[in-house]
Amino acid sequence: MAIQSKPIFSVDIHPDGTKFATGGQGQDSGKVVIWNMSPVLQEDDEKDENIPKMLCQMDNHLACVNCVRWSNSGMYLASGGDDKLIMVWKRATYIGPSTVFGSSGKLANVEQWRCVSILRNHSGDVMDVAWSPHDAWLASCSVDNTVVIWNAVKFPEILATLRGHSGLVKGLTWDPVGKYIASQADDRSLKVWRTLDWQLETSITKPFDECGGTTHVLRLSWSPDGHYLVSAHAMNNSGPTAQIIEREGWKTNMDFVGHRKAVTVVKFNPKIFKKKQKNGSSTKPSCPYCCCAVGSKDRSLSVWLTCLKRPLVVIHELFDKSIMDISWTLNGLGILVCSMDGSVAFLDFSQDELGDPLSEEEKSRIHQSTYGKSLAIMTEAQLSTAVIENPEMLKYQRRQQQQQLDQKNATARETSSASSVTGVVNGESLEDIRKNLLKKQVETRTADGRRRITPLCIAQLDTGYSFVHQAFCDLVWGDLFFFFCQDFSTAFFNSIPLSSSLAGTMLSSPSSQQLLPLDSSTPSFGASKPCTEPVAATGARPTGESVTKDSMNATSTPAALSPSMLTTPSKIEPMKAFDSRFTERSKATPGAPSLTNVIPTAVERLKDQNLVKELRPRDLLESSSDSDEKVHLVKPSSLSKRKLELEVETVEKKKKGRPRKDSRLLPMSLSVQVSSDPSMYIEVENEVTAIGGIRLSRLKCNREGKEWETVLTSRVLTAAGSCDVVCVACEKRMLSVFSTCGRRLLPPILLPSPISTLHCTGPYVMALTAAATLSVWDVHRQVVVVKEESLHSILSGSDMTVSQILLTQHGIPVMNLSDGKAYCFNPSLSTWNLVSDKQDSLAQCADFRNSLPSQDAMLCSGPLAIIQGRTSNSGRQAARLFSVPHVVQQETTLAYLENQVAAALTLQSSHEYRHWLLLYARYLVNEGFEYRLREICKDLLGPVHCSTGSQWESTVVGLRKRELLKELLPVIGQNLRFQRLFTECQEQLDILRDK
Amino acid sequence: MAKVSVLNVAVLENPSPFHSPFRFEISFECSEALSDDLEWKIIYVGSAESEEFDQILDSVLVGPVPAGRHMFVFQADAPNPSLIPETDAVGVTVVLITCTYHGQEFIRVGYYVNNEYPNPELRENPPPKPDFSQLQRNILASKPRVTRFHINWDNNSDRLEATENQDPNPDYGLPLSCTPIKSLGLPSCISGLLPENSMDCI
Repeated sequence: MAIQSKPIFSVDIHPDGTKFATGGQGQDSGKVVIWNMSPVLQEDDEKDENIPKMLCQMDNHLACVNCVRWSNSGMYLASGGDDKLIMVWKRATYIGPSTVFGSSGKLANVEQWRCVSILRNHSGDVMDVAWSPHDAWLASCSVDNTVVIWNAVKFPEILATLRGHSGLVKGLTWDPVGKYIASQADDRSLKVWRTLDWQLETSITKPFDECGGTTHVLRLSWSPDGHYLVSAHAMNNSGPTAQIIEREGWKTNMDFVGHRKAVTVVKFNPKIFKKKQKNGSSTKPSCPYCCCAVGSKDRSLSVWLTCLKRPLVVIHELFDKSIMDISWTLNGLGILVCSMDGSVAFLDFSQDELGDPLSEEEKSRIHQSTYGKSLAIMTEAQLSTAVIENPEMLKYQRRQQQQQLDQKNATARETSSASSVTGVVNGESLEDIRKNLLKKQVETRTADGRRRITPLCIAQLDTGYSFVHQAFCDLVWGDLFFFFCQDFSTAFFNSIPLSSSLAGTMLSSPSSQQLLPLDSSTPSFGASKPCTEPVAATGARPTGESVTKDSMNATSTPAALSPSMLTTPSKIEPMKAFDSRFTERSKATPGAPSLTNVIPTAVERLKDQNLVKELRPRDLLESSSDSDEKVHLVKPSSLSKRKLELEVETVEKKKKGRPRKDSRLLPMSLSVQVSSDPSMYIEVENEVTAIGGIRLSRLKCNREGKEWETVLTSRVLTAAGSCDVVCVACEKRMLSVFSTCGRRLLPPILLPSPISTLHCTGPYVMALTAAATLSVWDVHRQVVVVKEESLHSILSGSDMTVSQILLTQHGIPVMNLSDGKAYCFNPSLSTWNLVSDKQDSLAQCADFRNSLPSQDAMLCSGPLAIIQGRTSNSGRQAARLFSVPHVVQQETTLAYLENQVAAALTLQSSHEYRHWLLLYARYLVNEGFEYRLREICKDLLGPVHCSTGSQWESTVVGLRKRELLKELLPVIGQNLRFQRLFTECQEQLDILRDK
Repeated sequence: MAKVSVLNVAVLENPSPFHSPFRFEISFECSEALSDDLEWKIIYVGSAESEEFDQILDSVLVGPVPAGRHMFVFQADAPNPSLIPETDAVGVTVVLITCTYHGQEFIRVGYYVNNEYPNPELRENPPPKPDFSQLQRNILASKPRVTRFHINWDNNSDRLEATENQDPNPDYGLPLSCTPIKSLGLPSCISGLLPENSMDCI
């Protein structure tokens, strides 16, 4: 099969066997071409003009392409060339031109492959690239003498650069179990590197002493059983060989001899074989063996079996020029060979010639027995060997295939219609846009008077690595919880919930009322210098004016403030602010986060909503407690003793910090905006001089424009609200609760000690007192959820503080502590449960990426996600664990997933419970843990036949268990090993449905 | 690799009277955000004989260009008839759309343009002095000729090196002087589409 007259340097068959890629020299650039496999395999397809031969060609490489490699998943193609670049390609399915603009129809690209990453680091031609097993890493080698390991999960991150070669590195191969990577170079050495620490394991030089740098490539290969590594060009008694290196002790006792010129490429068959059992012959079990193809500059190809001393077959003069690359089909029976002369040859073998291939399962068993771990994940290839035992399963499998087919068709349709209607932008069809494009497009003049057109973006690039933050951003700003406090006599600012409110609003649930977090640590506002100082200046000025004057000024102040406040952050994009918050929080450093980014943006936001009048720096005040009571929370052990003195002490402390007016010990007023409901805010004015010299405090609440007011007899310290209730804590340990319309729901509650933090979510009111006790009440049902529970048990360390408090929608309080642990109180058990630990080694070791349904599935939002943050490095950590025995990794992953399921359950976060349960089940399915899976199914299914004595609950955290099981079934069905379990559950569900 | 690839150029309002502006709707894809603007030009080849008669109808900057697919309409006034040799006014000529980045041209799209009198009488007996107001311009939109050049897309640091990647011939591509008709390799099918008198021109 002649393809082109220009050299072809590399060939690789796609894992699904339907296509292959070639790389080489193009017209005046490098060229990567993706070809259809079927015309190569079947003559009929070759003749059929409707079957395309070429699927896509990419001439983006500036210079010759030396290597093309498919990832093991088949999703990506990596290519490396003389232009020093590595490009990673992904199939674009959304839209695309069916032809290259300006080219004739014959050269139509049937498939669209798009470059999703360009990896730049090498300072010389890239000679070879290789994906690690599992696709966690991509290695590349270059004539700059280095090997670079790229993080394939997060391009273009570089994990390591392997230095040590003193000549051009021309070939790479990974050990099939991922423990080593080997490279061969012109410096007459072959080096084996450990993936554990990316250090040199061994350097083999002896067989290469006589070698000169005469070959373009040195493609070495590792046998699929991991026992042997076979080098390219080596010399033995001045004859060219392919050196066999044993894994055990890196011995070099054997080689493949016979080629007349240097060996350029060695490629092992991906299968391990065993002798074909012939009828009548002895049935003694034979040792499994591997098969290896060797290509050379002498233009011949030899195929060897490790059990034979002589080559299985030698094909002389296959090409006009040197062989450059070899690729086996996944089934091990076909081989593609490419040559410098621009042609590719396909050879196929029969099973009689090679032997019986071992199944993937057997292969992984060999790995497991030899190396103690395996890469065995149920693959489709493996599934195909299992027998489908029941019609339901068959139906399910067919349905799945059908779905895939449908998807394919849909994509095809999409592509075919792409030229006319390519998509919809902002709900407008492209056709509409095109009609008005000229009118709509923005045209400006540059300084030198030239026309400048801003092009209209019609599609974002599908980069393959999703950026979900953007989506979150809107939510974050949409629900921004705003709380601004100030104590004006000291001009010292305290802001309450900013750091945690962002976390709270990260909830993507549309109800957005899932929880209202409150940060008890109240980071000092003073830390955020530039933008807050103006506020401080204005805020500090008035102290004793009358309320009316205050409110008059209030409207003007923000306006005066806004320029100075907004100039600083004008460059700050919401995204960045969000990011900085995020890192902040995950580091769990309470107390001094730089609020610079958030607050100004919040102000901006507020301004946008015409809520400016709520922003009353002068009227805002310190939220009671914080700086004072916090001190007590820090040392709970000493607390009990001091409980009684506390009130007095607080006052005294305040006096110290406020030398000016003793009468103004307590805040003048306070304003709270409730995050869940952006149009709701609470305002408090203390000490309104009312009739007859009686001092009253006024509470105002504005909800969707409807305002209500009420008066209280004592000064208000803090206020909080949710969509169901509004509550305020006053002096003398009084707590009052109002309905959303301002109706008092309860006579004032007397708290056991002064309030520290008050918080509402839905009908739940949570009060954390200075004595470190926590209470939660359900105001609607008028019951206690948590009764004066002491925090002493969780605040055991000496310098432990509460960094964040959350109250979930179900009234479950969660305390995030400064040591990174988070506890939730389980009301039914009256226990504190550990739900998150930043130092949790399990979280870092668990590797369940293979069980994630999709990339963005990592992002499940809910209380648990907020508490734990999102650890993005877990994947990397897990990747490091490659060298840890597989069993250990399985155990840690299981333990981690089980922890997550249990934590979500305790938090009664149904959404997250479902997420983690499905993930857990998927992991069990993938790794083949039958007992645990069965137990889950049994619990979800419950008794099929009603028995009155059954303790079984039909729901769990509001989810119907049997519905969950139905969701689980397709997952179970993915692994034929569990088909009996699948059948059982399916049948019993059917019985239940029929009832 | 080329950071920008042109996906399509749609010729709007075609055919149209000679004096009406050119309008091209250009869609392109950018694989990585560009730090600078792209510069697009429309060049009208007044006469196949000489580069002298080329008219740059307009040039615009397009930007900012983030990664993704974009489109814009490039509108330019009709060529100045006084600069067109009388003998070349009627017949086939070429309009070019070029795009440069950092002053380096990376794509050139050429279209054949046929100027003729729609009025059969005028077609039979063309006035000795071309009557531009009567001429109709017909762009052969279905047959764009696209030439791509490799340029250095990175910033100035390795510009020197980029010249290596470029065609050594400084006048690469379609030299404007050259009769685009020759270099475009006029497909045979065109002659069928063109009126008889236009053949003189070739």
